[in-house]
Amino acid sequence: MSSLSAKPIGSAMPSGEHLLTEAQSGLWYVQQIDPSNPILNASQYVELAGELDIDLFRQAFAQMVEEADCLSLTFHSGVFGPSQRLDAGTRPLLEIVDLRSEANPASVAVALMQADTARPVDLGQGPVSRFTLFRLSEDRHYWYERIHHLAIDGYGIVLVTNRVGEIYSGLKSGTGTGTPFAPFTQAMDDGAAYLFDDRRRRDAEFWRNELANLPEVVSLASGRAVSEHSFRRETRHLSQDLFSALVARAERAKVTWPDLLTTLVASYCRRFASAAELVTGVPHMGRLGSKAARVPCTLMNVLPVRFENTDHMPLDEAAVVHAKRLMACRRHGRYRSEQLRRDLGLIGGQRRLFGPLINVQPFDMPPKFDGLDVSLHILGAGAVDDITFTFRGDAKTSLMMEVDSNPALYSDQDTKDHSARLIAYLENALKAERLADVVLASPDERQRYLFEVNATLHSVEDVTLVELIERTMRTHPDAPAVIFEGQTLTYAELDRRSLALASQLVEKGAGPDRLVAVALPRSLELIIALFAILRSGAAYLPLDVSHPKDRLSRILSSAQPVVILGEENSADLFDHALLPPSRWRWNAQRTDWPVATTDNLAYVIYTSGSTGEPKGVMIEHRAIVNRLEWMRQHYRFGPADRILQKTPVTFDVSVWEFFLPALCSATLVVGPPEAHRDPLAIARIIRNENITTLHFVPSMLSAFMAEPSVEGLEVSRVFCSGEELTAEQRDRFHRLIKGELHNLYGPTEAAVDVSYWEASASDTSSPLPIGWPVWNTRLYVLDDHLQPLPPGVAGHLYLGGVQLARGYLGRDDLTSDRFLPDPFTEGRRIYKTGDMAKLRADGAVVYLGRSDHQVKIRGLRIELGEIEAAIMTSGLVREAVVVAREDRPGDKRIVAYVVADPLLAIETLRESISSKVPDYMMPAGFVRLDALPVTSNGKLDRRALPAPVIDIAAGRRASSPLEQLLAILFKEILELDDEPTAESDFFSLGGDSLSAVQLCLRIRTETGTDPGLGAIFEHPAICDLAKVLEKAGSDEGLGPIIRLVRGDETLAPVFLIHPAGGIAWGYRHLAQQLGRRPVYGIQSPTLSKEAVSPEDLTSLAASYAELIRRTYTGIYHIAGWSVGGILAQAVAVELHEQGLAVGLVALLDSYPCDCWRAEPEPDETAALRALLAIAGHDPLEHPELVTKDAIIAFLKQDGSSLGGLPDAALGGVIRSVLDTNRLVRGHYHKRFDGTLTHFRAALDHKDMNLNPALWAAYCAEVETVDVACLHPQMTSAGAVQTIAPEILSRLTLLEKKGTA
Amino acid sequence: MTITLEKMRADVAAIIHEDPSEIGFDDNLMDLGLDSMRLMNLILTWQEAGVDLDFGEFAEEFTLNGWWRAIEAKQANA
Repeated sequence: MSSLSAKPIGSAMPSGEHLLTEAQSGLWYVQQIDPSNPILNASQYVELAGELDIDLFRQAFAQMVEEADCLSLTFHSGVFGPSQRLDAGTRPLLEIVDLRSEANPASVAVALMQADTARPVDLGQGPVSRFTLFRLSEDRHYWYERIHHLAIDGYGIVLVTNRVGEIYSGLKSGTGTGTPFAPFTQAMDDGAAYLFDDRRRRDAEFWRNELANLPEVVSLASGRAVSEHSFRRETRHLSQDLFSALVARAERAKVTWPDLLTTLVASYCRRFASAAELVTGVPHMGRLGSKAARVPCTLMNVLPVRFENTDHMPLDEAAVVHAKRLMACRRHGRYRSEQLRRDLGLIGGQRRLFGPLINVQPFDMPPKFDGLDVSLHILGAGAVDDITFTFRGDAKTSLMMEVDSNPALYSDQDTKDHSARLIAYLENALKAERLADVVLASPDERQRYLFEVNATLHSVEDVTLVELIERTMRTHPDAPAVIFEGQTLTYAELDRRSLALASQLVEKGAGPDRLVAVALPRSLELIIALFAILRSGAAYLPLDVSHPKDRLSRILSSAQPVVILGEENSADLFDHALLPPSRWRWNAQRTDWPVATTDNLAYVIYTSGSTGEPKGVMIEHRAIVNRLEWMRQHYRFGPADRILQKTPVTFDVSVWEFFLPALCSATLVVGPPEAHRDPLAIARIIRNENITTLHFVPSMLSAFMAEPSVEGLEVSRVFCSGEELTAEQRDRFHRLIKGELHNLYGPTEAAVDVSYWEASASDTSSPLPIGWPVWNTRLYVLDDHLQPLPPGVAGHLYLGGVQLARGYLGRDDLTSDRFLPDPFTEGRRIYKTGDMAKLRADGAVVYLGRSDHQVKIRGLRIELGEIEAAIMTSGLVREAVVVAREDRPGDKRIVAYVVADPLLAIETLRESISSKVPDYMMPAGFVRLDALPVTSNGKLDRRALPAPVIDIAAGRRASSPLEQLLAILFKEILELDDEPTAESDFFSLGGDSLSAVQLCLRIRTETGTDPGLGAIFEHPAICDLAKVLEKAGSDEGLGPIIRLVRGDETLAPVFLIHPAGGIAWGYRHLAQQLGRRPVYGIQSPTLSKEAVSPEDLTSLAASYAELIRRTYTGIYHIAGWSVGGILAQAVAVELHEQGLAVGLVALLDSYPCDCWRAEPEPDETAALRALLAIAGHDPLEHPELVTKDAIIAFLKQDGSSLGGLPDAALGGVIRSVLDTNRLVRGHYHKRFDGTLTHFRAALDHKDMNLNPALWAAYCAEVETVDVACLHPQMTSAGAVQTIAPEILSRLTLLEKKGTA
Repeated sequence: MTITLEKMRADVAAIIHEDPSEIGFDDNLMDLGLDSMRLMNLILTWQEAGVDLDFGEFAEEFTLNGWWRAIEAKQANA
């Protein structure tokens, strides 16, 4: 072995500190980030059925423990990094728990084991392992094992467990106890040698190439993958058929079955994550064949293995591709993944190296115990950051699958669903030639989401739109049909005018499947024109005269309308025959022309294709009648409705606005031209015209809601479509407007809308779904191979049903591209929307955006809507839109556009949203606009958003003192040439775990505030970390324990317990006079937590004892003034009972509770006035202060530290004061078997018989020191001149003596 | 005995889909993807060819050279 800082460690070595191995270091940091997290407790139990020889078992266990050094390690953080030492005092003993008299011993045992596993281990104190044998009955035992992962890995546990079985069996049969474990040193030497081996360099080289251009790390759920304190688990035993098929297929493909299994699970995960490539974590035991092969210790590594999409290849070939890759990765598998993360800059924030874990452990079989039936139950196997698929067993006799998931990311149902779906996937995959043919959705899901959710069959009368319109004209001739700027047309008039024009059109050549163009602004004439065209038997083709002439002429040349109904002044736009309203006929001369059938076209609307060439979508009568009849009946429209027409005629939403009123004898109120862009005008029309129903594009709804006069508006129904409606918009709508809000979705190619969702006030969905299919309609979410997807998986949205367009006019090529045969319903078609969507478990569809507009920045998927919602809920802006811009190629940045008060500081907005979105979603730039630009259809015009003018590349200089300090520390620790900017990220600048620890220590030294390692990982940017520190700083002084004096840490500290107010700052004079002693103040939990009221004084004291014990190990010195003294005595009792050494117990003018029980109860005012004393005022001097508010106002104005407290904390002080009386009166002292040192306020207590001797009943001895002061002055600078020297002299004396 | 070091390397290479030249005589074969089940298969073939080593002896030292040394040691003692 070469000379190393990591010296070997093992039983042969004298005890001493040794650095952790590479494998351990990673885990140590994980635990350091959250020391109270018990997730690294690996635990399991072995079920032993049959007659167990307990003595032999005990013997076998003892021999194993002798051999396995790792079970008695303790861990420490040292100057050179984390270290470990062998601590024989923590060597585990076998505990035997007899549960034979229990009614249900098995469940008691499991509950005890689970409780133990859920308890965090004190790595510094140890023991790091625990073993218990539960006796359930004469012939049934559970052997429980729990070992921290820093000491052992999964394979090590197998070794330890099997070894006990081996020794037991050997002793029982007399055949010998086998080979002992190799010493721990062997593994350590091996690991240390690797550090300096050339092989490590080669491994690093391999991984650098292997992981070049690593794709975005995705998983089966999105969110922060940081292990919680527990995990969810689903366990399934794979059937014999399944694992036999696995082994057979592996043999056929000439790969090992674990590699084939890993390949199949990875394919499942990759498809579920809808990613082109998946990076999985593959645990690698990294020791078989090495000298550590038989050493229980922690060596396991997790290899990032890439799985690209090979589903199109024959599975047997794909299996070889992945098996080769797995082999190559294993060959270099000693190179630690923690080091890889450092190499790749993937530390901190949300950066990850891999998604799901796939862990195949063929060696994990139950141990063998002679004469016993044995089975193995795994309880905890380490951190579950995301989701872990573990397979245990040899696939010959059994194969068990465990799906462990992080509860923050997966629900119980998700976890169950993954288990069931994966097993179905494996079964089908093993039969398939290629994985592309295997359906990801389970058979149940396929049935449910393809068919049951789409069971929308509903009978609709087989009539044309014309027939429905004419019916109303006959039944309601005098009802108002259309209102426009004060003019009204009745249905009879509309009948006459439209029929007259229709007859004229017929003469010009109109008829079924012919087109008549309309190019009129909103007006009565426009309505007459539309009705007339339909009644002529033709379909209408709307044109927008504001469009470029070139576009218009391209449309006209492809559509070839028989005539154009437009205004005279537009003649220059059209080469075709124009028929202006002035030349329209007023009376029909004939009515005998061929009418349209339901198969004929009703309208053709041109949409802009992605290529820029407009496409004419042909909609037939049957399709639009289905859509309109669904809407009429579903939302119960009737003659009393007044529907606002404000959508441009070229946008298909206008179709229902125009014709729905005519289907229910309601009134169409036509808004003035351009009204759709004017929120104030819309609000006025709604009020003046009693509008019951109208439509908004969501961005227009936002603009509308920003209009002050909208508040309190009432309207029966508002429909939204055309863009994504957000949950935030829904909630704002219901705050401002009384009425229903409905979210509709559909492309022009499917007759306006195909899905609906009621965005009611009680709806809490986020994201807001586009919902359910309308009548006779199917919504499919399919993968690239047109296979159904399970809920939660992003896929392509396809539509089917009666509403589909006939196709694109004159473009059969485009039509066959987008309209495909329905793979699930014979003889039907589906339309490919080009939208991405996912299903919810209830079948509602969630829109995810255009498939060609997925936003990813620096590999992370960005939810722009989420950022918008965060900005809107800040309440600081009226409107907001967030986009990802790429103004320089390859440099994509998030930019937020806001419409806000000119006085709003962008920094305020930035701060407000920083708490709501992850750092990587924070916009790089904010741009203020007077209004958001919209297209002629009222949709947000993204292309019109200006490029941000601010220079977002330069970065802000560190400004606040804390930011400046951090910038200096970053520069020093990371050895940077320049001072980093405020946005600089510690880890991006080259920081790693070790330098993070350094940073943590430096921050603590410089500021006195300990941010905790976790804070640095979570907030690696200077500006964010500064905020965390600021917050920690302002909370400081209110925590349960504060450091009053740092002092010399080699001396035993003094703990000073708070008086009635709950705070301990009053002890600052005393603390400063206690030599070089560290001094801590213990403070009431009511200060920092809302409404925490301790049960009684004893339990409060017990919690303080615990806090003190955790802070320091050694002899305990405790003191307290007033109620603090009562608590000090109770804490001393508690510590003493725990067998701990108690030194000085000093009571500063405190008297036993009995004295107070006899007194009349003080009123609230008296208690509150005690606050004045706490703040250093003499209550007697301020008789005028009798109310809570007056006292608080006085303290605030006086500028005392108490008055400067945040309101919440001041509330805590008041609660603590008020609660003291109850605690004291309800407390009965226990006897403290030691000396109480009582400091008596000698000038006080003239009226009451208060005497230190009253404590005699509650201790072994009372000694009294008189201090010439009054009770309220006990902690004053003057009094401590007497008190401090008395305390100090006793401390030294007591420490010499050892205990009290 | 008909087994040679080269033959063993070729057999290992075939079972792990590698070219024999890719496998070093001192490479840890576990790292190359050789697992216990594949090793079992190999041992059966080699035993037929006269190699007198059991599974445990193969598992201890997981390199071709290590195996060869063990085989030679056995031969010498025979």
